[in-house]
Amino acid sequence: RGRGRGRGGVDVRVRCGPISDHLARHKYDVIVVGGGHAGTEAAAAAARVGAETLLVTQKIHTIGALSCNPSLGGVGKGHLVKEVDALDGLCGRAGDWAGIHFSILNRRKGPAVWGPRAQLDRELYRQFIQSELLSTPRLTVLEGSVEELLLTEPDPEEPGHHRVTGIRLANGSQPVSASSVVLTTGTFLSGSLFMGQTTSPGGRIGDAPSSAGLSHTLRERLGLRVGRLRTGTPPRIVKDSVDFSLASLHAPDKQPTPFSFLNTHTRCKPEEQLPCYLTHTTPGVEKVVRESLHLNCHIQQDTKGPRYCPSIESRVLRFPGRRHQVWLEPEGLTSDLLYPQGLSMTMPPDVQLCLIREIPPLHRLFFFCMHRSEMCYGVQYDFVCPTQLSPALQVKSTQGLFLAGQINGTTGYEEAAAQGLWAGVNAGRWALSMPPVALSRTESYIGVLIDDLVSRGVTEPYRMFTSRAEFRTSLRPDNADLRLTLKGFEEVGCVSSLRYQEAVRVRDSLQDALAALQSLVLPTSSWKKILGDVGISETKNSILNGMDLLQYNNVSFEMLASAFPERFSPHLEFSQRLEIEAIYRPHCDLQRKEMERIQREESLSLPPDMDYLSLPVSLSQEVREILDRVRPSTLGAATRLQGMTPAAVVQLLSYVHQTGKKERRSHRNQLDQKGREEDGCTRNVVLPQ
Amino acid sequence: MLPSISAGIWRGAQHILRTRVAPRRTGLCTCAGIPGELCDAGTIFALSSGHGRCGVAVVRVSGPASTTALRCMAGLTHSLLTPRTALLRSITDPQSKEVLDRGLVLWFPGPHSFTGEDSAEFHIHGGPAVITAVLQALGSLPGMRPAEAGEFTRRAFHAGKLGLTEVEGLGDLIHAETEAQRRQALRQMCGDLGRLYQDWTSRLKRCLAHVEAFIDFSEDELIEDGVLNQVDTSVCDLQAEMERHLKDERRGERLRSGVQVVIAGATNAGKSSLLNTLCQRPAAIVSPIAGTTRDVVETALDIGGFPAVLSDTAGLRDSPDLVEREGVRRARERVEQADLTLVVVDCAQLPSDAQQAPAFLQGHLSSILPTQERSQTERCLLVLNKTDLVSEEWRQQLETELRRSSGLPPVCLISCQTNEGLQDFLAALHSSIKALCGDPLSGAPSLTQARHRAHLQQCVAALSQYHRYRDTDLALAAEGVRLALTSLGRITGRVGAEEILDIIFKDFCIGK
Repeated sequence: RGRGRGRGGVDVRVRCGPISDHLARHKYDVIVVGGGHAGTEAAAAAARVGAETLLVTQKIHTIGALSCNPSLGGVGKGHLVKEVDALDGLCGRAGDWAGIHFSILNRRKGPAVWGPRAQLDRELYRQFIQSELLSTPRLTVLEGSVEELLLTEPDPEEPGHHRVTGIRLANGSQPVSASSVVLTTGTFLSGSLFMGQTTSPGGRIGDAPSSAGLSHTLRERLGLRVGRLRTGTPPRIVKDSVDFSLASLHAPDKQPTPFSFLNTHTRCKPEEQLPCYLTHTTPGVEKVVRESLHLNCHIQQDTKGPRYCPSIESRVLRFPGRRHQVWLEPEGLTSDLLYPQGLSMTMPPDVQLCLIREIPPLHRLFFFCMHRSEMCYGVQYDFVCPTQLSPALQVKSTQGLFLAGQINGTTGYEEAAAQGLWAGVNAGRWALSMPPVALSRTESYIGVLIDDLVSRGVTEPYRMFTSRAEFRTSLRPDNADLRLTLKGFEEVGCVSSLRYQEAVRVRDSLQDALAALQSLVLPTSSWKKILGDVGISETKNSILNGMDLLQYNNVSFEMLASAFPERFSPHLEFSQRLEIEAIYRPHCDLQRKEMERIQREESLSLPPDMDYLSLPVSLSQEVREILDRVRPSTLGAATRLQGMTPAAVVQLLSYVHQTGKKERRSHRNQLDQKGREEDGCTRNVVLPQ
Repeated sequence: MLPSISAGIWRGAQHILRTRVAPRRTGLCTCAGIPGELCDAGTIFALSSGHGRCGVAVVRVSGPASTTALRCMAGLTHSLLTPRTALLRSITDPQSKEVLDRGLVLWFPGPHSFTGEDSAEFHIHGGPAVITAVLQALGSLPGMRPAEAGEFTRRAFHAGKLGLTEVEGLGDLIHAETEAQRRQALRQMCGDLGRLYQDWTSRLKRCLAHVEAFIDFSEDELIEDGVLNQVDTSVCDLQAEMERHLKDERRGERLRSGVQVVIAGATNAGKSSLLNTLCQRPAAIVSPIAGTTRDVVETALDIGGFPAVLSDTAGLRDSPDLVEREGVRRARERVEQADLTLVVVDCAQLPSDAQQAPAFLQGHLSSILPTQERSQTERCLLVLNKTDLVSEEWRQQLETELRRSSGLPPVCLISCQTNEGLQDFLAALHSSIKALCGDPLSGAPSLTQARHRAHLQQCVAALSQYHRYRDTDLALAAEGVRLALTSLGRITGRVGAEEILDIIFKDFCIGK
């Protein structure tokens, strides 16, 4: 398989300061702007796909910094971490390295909604990401600020009005050229910081605001629609000042479960894990909020903030008279700070202190305990309305420009990492002239995330929940490797062969074990004799196989293995996965038909440059306008649009069906030609369906 | 909680549903209701001839269980089956063995059938009692369900029996069927039954929301454990209510059969006079006072042999009178549900310049007809009443202008006072009703009832999945509520377009 060029030697270059002539002359395949969760995954993924990649970030030492909460995963988010890991991304392994408190949320609610989560050591996380990036072949990291995007005429063979050709850095030096650019600027797009009544430009406290040039290019030159969102971060609390006797201790899992499919254990030993503490707000907090409202310009404005990670002001105002949870989370093994999850606010510093001291365990807190960079502030920032993106996260109107992370209106590290990975994969493929790849919402949470973004857009910061996934019982954290790693290697090219081989081994072993379970068929009476009283229901003459037995609560795979050691003990490694599989398999079988239907729809792509307003089929003006505005990339996305009628979809289907046939024919001719030109060089080409 | 039934039986249940074991055995399994949208391979049936006056009605069956239907209901065992040959048989109820009718049956083995699947046709006598009995008998067979809108055609497309040009027409067909179903649903939804279903839906939505919240948020936020206990009770109540409803045959409202014709218009346009003229008796009170009719006056009529239900409604105007306002609301509701609307206009109220009349009428129509119908002039007749009050010369001008203009529904000029133009009007009405009656969709209550039953049964079965997994796996429990809501949503007709889309893309194999 052609995975592009430069497969050989490790090429590590870190450049600080002014850009050298060497760099300027160099042409990269992919440039990634931003070194947060989206940017780091994007850069690593592009390089894995085989692209010569340059990561440009304001400060090299903040690459991989956790700028908000020191934790990873959770319900829904944990699914994303598992999937990013299954596609050979960084955050799962980084979490295993940096985790200092592991727990699986929703443990009692069923494996489909388990939420693997960990508190992280900020320093260890940053170190892991940096050392991974700096040892990634084909990846160069450069410190600098991007002034503008370089644009040129579009490639007439492809849809779009512009083509990106590189970037210009802020210090006015020569441009750096690349075939594709991934923007992961987070909250820095026209970001402003709020604290009390003071406002300053910037995306994060302590960092310079990004240049206005990039914002300008996106809005004015590319004509992208942008919206505005807000977010915020809580203060940091000095550990020594906390009266822990007034908070309740929350212990981690006794045995940490790693995020990564490659890891069997975490770096942190079980007994070295640090606890979290839980406390609550008091009526005094509510009083402080109400009395200081006039001093708080962030909360007064009506920019959309998240409903699910709201500031303490919003929570208190929306649900008065209630206790609200505040978690005190460790910031690291050696850090003397705690992170009060649930206390983000934007008041003036002195009011912040008053409020914090209304919370019982924090009553001893003094002002000198808080540095400026450790106080709360709010951020308002621009995001690009993500309906302007393709499922490959490419800007539809601009060839080679990809966006990922908060710039697309999402919130959260995991959401950013997932998009970053997928944007990086596609940016790399674009640069290497490989067709784009998309993930379906039937196969992954990443697919759900991207489909929601590009076909529905966002009205508030988008966060992943398990309830967003229609096929939740099939898309589980435990089977992310089987869902994605094989495809990631065979079709996408972003997975190392080491990981692939492991996934193949797991798949084959699971298949063997399941076959062994299914082939062991016994009458209920015999099962009862073997396993004792496990609550097998009294149905006469019924026979059950091993899979059926595993669906019983009090039957474990270990029990079967000790009863039939020669059959099952070789598979003990997968006990838990087999038990989960046995319970979910019947439900997944039921869902499969529906999933296939959606996949069929999604395989039918609508040309991005389709002229809906003059399409020669019978469509109402209203439907034409909806289609023209949203430009769904597949028929599947079109059906999910509000205002589409069944008749319109049939008309569209028949039109696309007809033109599809024509195009496929001409595409095949082109390929034949290409094949001859390339002299037998095989390429991984995905034909449009 | 233990799974009460093992997976072996559970899987067996699907098997039973799809093949042909006696239906009482399906009662054994806890998960008999495989949600409709997930088992699209089933066998479907529908009345495919129009209702109303007809000598012979045709009931079509398509799918793998077609031969079962022939065997169980027409006694055609395998050796007796002859492809594409009409046989005169007694048609019996598969359970009671009671003879329902004597008629022709045909067998079309796939792929040489309209849908490409095994199909059967029952040509039976056209009376409503016979049709209902045969449809109910078919519905009682395992693996059989009433067809969804356009399903036969979609299966044909799926099997490659339709060309692409015919697909263009399919778009219009599906539109018409969706509309017909929507109106049918609306009619049934406005009574007690509708309120019952709506109430179930909203309670079920609440249940699902609570379970989902508990799954996604209970670890971080303060969501009391009590939430789930409430859901437990609600789900139990819902299940019990639905089961009671399914058992109690009398609860099903008698559905109005026949084409729904609604007379609508401004006050004092002569709507009640038109009703009285049509039924040749003073069914409604008429007076020169605007706002005489306040409630809906309904009369069953036989128009040229076709059953119709004629409703006279209150004149549409803003009124301070509470009673009249309610009348106007009901009138608008009726227009929304109508198969055919007779818009009555007082000629004397038309602009004196006849050239402006078409535009005036257009505006008038859009104030009366619901938005979806505005473009559908075929479901409307414009009746210009009181021609006796205008001059002959002006009348001729008006007729010329109306002929010239396009986009208006058929127009009839009449005078209820002198009966002038009545014959032409009756002819126009007759042809409209005939067209609607030829369309099996304009009201086939028994089929709708069968569909409701099927969805309710699925809903109840899906809810039992909630209980089965409530304590062991909340994700699977929530899945049960999700499926139940989907099933119920198919009755309440709330998400009609979306659902029809689902079916389209399930049945069409795109990208081949």
